[in-house]
Amino acid sequence: MLRTVLRHGLTGVLLGSLIGNAQARELDTAFGNVEVPDSPERIVTLYEGALDASVAAGVTPIGAIATRGGNEVAAYIGEHIDTGLLEMVGVARETNIEAVLRLEPDLILAAPQLPEEQYRLLSRIAPTVVPASDGFSRDGWKAESRLYGQALGKEADIETVLENVEQRAAALNERLSDAGIGGTAYLARWMPAGPMVMSSELFATGVLASTGLEVDDEGLVKEGSAHSDVLSLENLSMIDGDWLFLATLNEEGQQALDAAEQSSAFTRLNVVKEGHVVPVNGQVWSSASGPLAAEVILNDIEEALLP
Amino acid sequence: MKVLARAKRLDQRTLLLCLLTALVAVSVVSLLVGAGSVSPLRAFSMLLGSEDSDAHFVVWELRAPRTLIGIAVGMALGVSGALLQAVARNPLAEPGLLGVSAGAAFAVALALVLGASAASLRISVAQVGALAGCLCVLGVARWRGVGNDPIRLVLAGAAFSALLGALTSLMLLFDQRSADEVRFWVIGSLAGRRLDDLWAVLPSMAFCTALIALIARPLSALALGERMASGLGHHPQLIRALVVLCVALLVGAATAIAGPIIFVGLVVPFIARAFAGPDIRRTLWFCLPIGPLIILAADIISRVVVAPSELPLGVLTALCGAPVLIAAVRARRLPML
Repeated sequence: MLRTVLRHGLTGVLLGSLIGNAQARELDTAFGNVEVPDSPERIVTLYEGALDASVAAGVTPIGAIATRGGNEVAAYIGEHIDTGLLEMVGVARETNIEAVLRLEPDLILAAPQLPEEQYRLLSRIAPTVVPASDGFSRDGWKAESRLYGQALGKEADIETVLENVEQRAAALNERLSDAGIGGTAYLARWMPAGPMVMSSELFATGVLASTGLEVDDEGLVKEGSAHSDVLSLENLSMIDGDWLFLATLNEEGQQALDAAEQSSAFTRLNVVKEGHVVPVNGQVWSSASGPLAAEVILNDIEEALLP
Repeated sequence: MKVLARAKRLDQRTLLLCLLTALVAVSVVSLLVGAGSVSPLRAFSMLLGSEDSDAHFVVWELRAPRTLIGIAVGMALGVSGALLQAVARNPLAEPGLLGVSAGAAFAVALALVLGASAASLRISVAQVGALAGCLCVLGVARWRGVGNDPIRLVLAGAAFSALLGALTSLMLLFDQRSADEVRFWVIGSLAGRRLDDLWAVLPSMAFCTALIALIARPLSALALGERMASGLGHHPQLIRALVVLCVALLVGAATAIAGPIIFVGLVVPFIARAFAGPDIRRTLWFCLPIGPLIILAADIISRVVVAPSELPLGVLTALCGAPVLIAAVRARRLPML
């Protein structure tokens, strides 16, 4: 640790003396060490998790990509910053490199899944920070947020934010277990032919689990996939737990529930009869990640589960 | 000679009876087999009268509706394929070529972009889109042209389908939310479709059946040639227009309930002609059991291969239909229609 600090400090000093007043730091990313400016000002985020972490750390980027299944950033981001200031530079599946170039960023924060060819292009525009990742995991978003925080020079702010989320989850966990609320929970996306069960190793299911619910995917989700194939209506009993969180790809969780309720296979589930189905916002629950989204999810859980 | 012809016809009747028996058998299998925990044995003993509420629900509320819908969709697609091939005088004409599927997909995409949700979309949107697409194709081909030059209809259909497809893609490019939702609609499937949807399109299907009964005879005369048909007192242009209307209504109905299911309309008439010979009237009879047979068989496979999930039916018909068609094309000279 000390050595890294020393090395970073040393590189900083060396480079600082070389380039004059523009200082730089070095970060350990998925594509090796990357030098980032000491106080970046024009930041472009190419990943919803990076946008979330930046805003949580008190930094407003100049460019971002749209939420999945939408043309703007997720609505919850708008509660923290004026999203009108954000230039849209693409969607999750495709970045508009020219739009990024036009913004002349001095730091790019990208997704862990960024392909190498894209990285090569982007890193010629500005230092590009890509978190290392080994597939889906419940807590991977925390390490990602920390790296983005480092890149922004806001390590302390991110630590505070993450601690707050963890404390909040622990408190909610306690209140739930005091109230005797818990059991198994599933997160699913409703499609016309049936539900897709979301993996239990995702950001949203991880936050769910942190409140003490047993989140499961019944082994339906293949390795390296975020959700199962569309489950046959004959097998809905597989997601008949104590709680069912129902999302679509967009904000209209309630619409997903309305559609599901037209299916008699759905309405005969115990979880439905008990009124334990919680429609949720897919922008937050199935597309986003990061500390601010975690807060929203914790709010949703508190509102739905606690009387 | 007369005796021979009679023997052959008798043979065809037996064949048709065999196919109908096969259809009944496949329908029963369709009630018994599924992706869920209700095994064929459990379903069977429930059908024989044992108390089993789970099995009762799965068989009567889930498997029976999709079987009925599969039968209706199979009949509609098979018959409309045979009709269109006869009127276009081209064995490769496919009902989708009338712009029906492209029109339905376009209408659904448009509704989604305008704010509807895929989950709550009513089937009327797809049916209206199918009819509108078909009318556009006929407009491009010129109504009179249908009579004089069936090839023009097929070409106009191909061109217009491509145009509608491009417009759909363009629209979805600008609206990411709809792009994600329409993905699930453009692949046909019988799962989760409701019987209400079937009842909604049944009147138009009944209307088509009556119409076909009226025009089957003149249509088969048309195969002898324009002049011969006119000489027999028929009106070729009117007949063709009525056939196209029938096809649009039938495929529109099928697409509206189950989504676009490709290849069935192309393959079924091929098989039916192999049994029935060139006469359209007999071909149509054979299409009636063969269409549902193929749809139901494909649907049963789609439930079993990736259980506990299901494969969309449209994927499976394309996967199975393509080799069948290639084999049919290679095995024999293409029939002249």
